[in-house]
Amino acid sequence: MTGPERRRLGGVVALSLSIALAVASTPIRAQQRDSIPGVALGLMYETVSQPALGIKPFTGRFGGAGVAPQVEAIIGRDLHNSDRFEVMDSLPASMGGEGVDYELWDRLGAVWLVTGQVEGAGDGLVLLLELHDVVYSELKQQGRFPIPDPSDPGFRMAVHRASDQIVEWVTGEPGVAATRIAFGMRDSQGNKDIYTVDSDGENLQRITDNHALSLSPAWSPDASHIAYSSDKGGTNWRIYELNLTTQKERMIPPPRPDANITPAYLPDGHAIAFAVTSGTRSGIYTYDLDNGGLANLTGGRYYDISPTFSPDGKWMAFNTDRFGTTVPQIMVMPMSGGDPQTLSPYQYGKGGYYTSPDWSPRGNLVAFHGRIRLGTYHILVADMKDAGHKLKQLTWEGNNEDPTWAPDGRHIAFVGERRWGFGLMVVDISTGRLRTVIAGRKVSAPAWSPSLNVQR
Amino acid sequence: MIVRRFVAPVLAATVLVVACKKQPPPPPAPTGPTAEELARMRADSIAAAQRRADSIAAAQRAAEEARAAHERAVAEAKATLQEMVFFDYDKSDLRPDAQTVLRRKVAVLRASPQVQLQIAGNADERGSEEYNLALGNRRAEAVRQFLVGFGLAESRFSIISYGEEKPLATGHDEASWARNRRDEFVITAGENAINPPSN
Repeated sequence: MTGPERRRLGGVVALSLSIALAVASTPIRAQQRDSIPGVALGLMYETVSQPALGIKPFTGRFGGAGVAPQVEAIIGRDLHNSDRFEVMDSLPASMGGEGVDYELWDRLGAVWLVTGQVEGAGDGLVLLLELHDVVYSELKQQGRFPIPDPSDPGFRMAVHRASDQIVEWVTGEPGVAATRIAFGMRDSQGNKDIYTVDSDGENLQRITDNHALSLSPAWSPDASHIAYSSDKGGTNWRIYELNLTTQKERMIPPPRPDANITPAYLPDGHAIAFAVTSGTRSGIYTYDLDNGGLANLTGGRYYDISPTFSPDGKWMAFNTDRFGTTVPQIMVMPMSGGDPQTLSPYQYGKGGYYTSPDWSPRGNLVAFHGRIRLGTYHILVADMKDAGHKLKQLTWEGNNEDPTWAPDGRHIAFVGERRWGFGLMVVDISTGRLRTVIAGRKVSAPAWSPSLNVQR
Repeated sequence: MIVRRFVAPVLAATVLVVACKKQPPPPPAPTGPTAEELARMRADSIAAAQRRADSIAAAQRAAEEARAAHERAVAEAKATLQEMVFFDYDKSDLRPDAQTVLRRKVAVLRASPQVQLQIAGNADERGSEEYNLALGNRRAEAVRQFLVGFGLAESRFSIISYGEEKPLATGHDEASWARNRRDEFVITAGENAINPPSN
């Protein structure tokens, strides 16, 4: 078998295997039970290839040798989490040494090979990375990445940026290792604050300390601000916008004195949308962040909440109780005006519970969660390019709520509940592979950041 | 003049001497109450005082009882104002038991015009956190509308939702969920001006 053939077949075999494992690990009856009639269960079934990628043990010099294994470990995990490769780990140290023995790596089945060297450089370090195409026996790309000392709080994120570059060298699209996920989490006093965690589950940080209930974080498109809803003012829920650099915060003026909840930035970053639940004057409002000024997108006696926008800013999806409080549905409306259309599969009198929409940054899909028969909750995606908005169910085990898209439009983080408890989980919609970012903590309403590859 | 001054005491002394020599006349009969009468009077007066004291004590007791009864009625009225109402899964419609509780609140609120209430809606843990916030608001709003329907001023009621954030029961079963699907009531004004409902 020649190299290129193996590259193709290796990917297909890997995909088939992961599906087989996923199916085998779940009782068939449970799958049939926990699905919505007419909704396809399972993966996106894209023809994805997951070529094998080897990592040669990183080396170091000029004081970088001690850091090299740590950098290699972070990058190895990032590349695994990218779901773009079958990362070959547990390689013997003897795989190190000078030069690249393409023939040896080819025999081991590697399609790609990453080498790295960490060098001390003044007050920091420089990571030299190379991507080799084993099949064609050539150096494909190389780059130099300045990284701070491991004791610096920016160390891991700098390494994540290098990981994302490797993904971009291979696929043409950057990875999402250099991202964070924000969410609400309750402390032992019953207060809830906003936290962030790096995409690999490290570096959990509390970013509000309100001694109140604070939830529903939303990232500004440039990742410089987080908006959230809190009752900390003592009257009712208000929207606050926190500058992550200066720690300065402002309250978005409430159009009505009642609850102001579920903020979301418009894609241009110049306005913030949120829901007001206030009798006959409920609805989704926007606030102009540059000039002030409120505008009304939907309004009436219905509660329209959880707005989310297509990346071109032309469409808004939201959650509504206009069909009844027992049957919340997802609707989509053009921002240019016009009636909203139901996106979730609502049929009058047939029920159905669908909430928490999030529009993919690629624009093609809207994720939300639905209550399936027997009262379990699962992540669904609706195809916006398909006239019938064809649905796919992405999870089938436990409960799965509040999806949020990674900037690659391929990974979705959500709140998972399993036998072992609650956690923050991620599903890759292409392979269906699940991973747990935080286990054993009840996180709520997560929001995945934009790419942090641009250093701020 | 000087002679007359000396004569009068001498005359008086003579009269006294003469009188002593004769048999003394019987003393005049006493005109005041007898000893028995005095004793009876004293007993009567004590009894009257006792009666007066008893009556004052009875009046005080009665006043205290009335006050205690009023306090009990006020406390009961306050408890009526604070009594929670519960909802069915995913619903904000008022169940018959909730309506009964709310009608009792209406009577107290009519008798206590200074009282203002915050209605706090809550949801169980199932379903989306954000949607549960909206659902809790619906539940608070449903109660406010019901109360306003009885002619009570809307301005007396503020509403807030805590969604699934403030559970009463922390279990993950229907019994806990049923306790958590509720409206709570906080007296935000007029707590010292609660009157029991007039019958």
